[in-house]
Amino acid sequence: MDKKQSSGQVILIAVLAMALILLSTQIYVFEVHMSTINLDSPSLNDYFFTIKIGSRNVVIGSIANVSGGGSNAVLVANLDKLVAHVNRQNQFGRNTLNYTVEETVSYSSGIWLFWGTDGFGVSSAFAHFTFNLSDREVDADLSYLINVTTTLTVEGAYKTILADEKQVNVTVNLLNEGKPALASQVTLYYRILDRWLAPNASNNYVVTDYGNGTYFASFLANIPSPTVEVSVLAKDQRQILVQANATCSQI
Amino acid sequence: MFDNKGQIRIIEAFLAISVMFSVLVLNVPMSSTPDLERQGTLKKLGTQVLIKLDNNGTLGKLIESGNWTALRQAMNLFLPACVFYNLTVYDENMQRVNAQEVSNSNQEGSEAIVIQYLCATQSSDTHFYTIKLQLAWPK
Repeated sequence: MDKKQSSGQVILIAVLAMALILLSTQIYVFEVHMSTINLDSPSLNDYFFTIKIGSRNVVIGSIANVSGGGSNAVLVANLDKLVAHVNRQNQFGRNTLNYTVEETVSYSSGIWLFWGTDGFGVSSAFAHFTFNLSDREVDADLSYLINVTTTLTVEGAYKTILADEKQVNVTVNLLNEGKPALASQVTLYYRILDRWLAPNASNNYVVTDYGNGTYFASFLANIPSPTVEVSVLAKDQRQILVQANATCSQI
Repeated sequence: MFDNKGQIRIIEAFLAISVMFSVLVLNVPMSSTPDLERQGTLKKLGTQVLIKLDNNGTLGKLIESGNWTALRQAMNLFLPACVFYNLTVYDENMQRVNAQEVSNSNQEGSEAIVIQYLCATQSSDTHFYTIKLQLAWPK
């Protein structure tokens, strides 16, 4: 075959080569653009954040359950369900969520319920999490702790008005993770012999909400005992119950 | 006998044009793929709204109480009015939960995306819901 005869094939090969170059360039630009959007965008951070929010919600729900009389095993059962759900997700890659519940002197199966008689009560749940996200382009690890703690402090004082009639003042403080928190319910009781009674309007019962997690209650009651004991049951906005008893000091 | 060289050249030229044309045709859909940055913005926006609602447990409470009107109002409040959305809630068995539509439009939008969000409730009997939020810009 002479040179002139094969010039058509050369053109064809050149055109094919150009087409391949054009296509591969286009694909490269497309892939780079895709990876820029996927990796540089904050969507992964948002995803990690949603995993943390989910974990926190589960811990809150569990301690709300346990403080309302549920078993300590609820936390582990709910966290197992969370792990199963998260590990089924695959929108960003392969999810691996693991957890361990806190086991110390105070915590058992991640739960610490201490409703004391010295004016201090706590309802708490504590778990450690590790999360791994792996994909062709991503391999990210995240470790975090979720500690949900509702604390109640109660201080009381009384003065004798006449014989057994006493004016009782009680200050209640509610905290979520150490910060002042609002209550959705505060119920106060006082003790007469073996019975706990809730003061009402006949006792001139008044509760002042200071709007910062501090509540001041006062009432009048006939309490024959020389010691005045009060009990406060509070529920925070997350529906976590906590109780504390206190012995009032005499003014 | 005729000289066939001319016809072969024409066929070769035709082949070359076909190859170039097909490459160009392939390029057009690729370069007209949805605008990923606009989609990324939508994704970010939608995720942020769901996070905002879920962070204090509101999202789970609204779903558990079946208060779809309040959920629609919350979405309307947090999402820009120019963004179309359609939200569907599924339970743990992937059965649709919301009997009512939670959306702000039945029009078709462009650059549509779907966000899948796992919502765990704060209630004492913890439930898990999968939320699919479709978002689109107006055409």
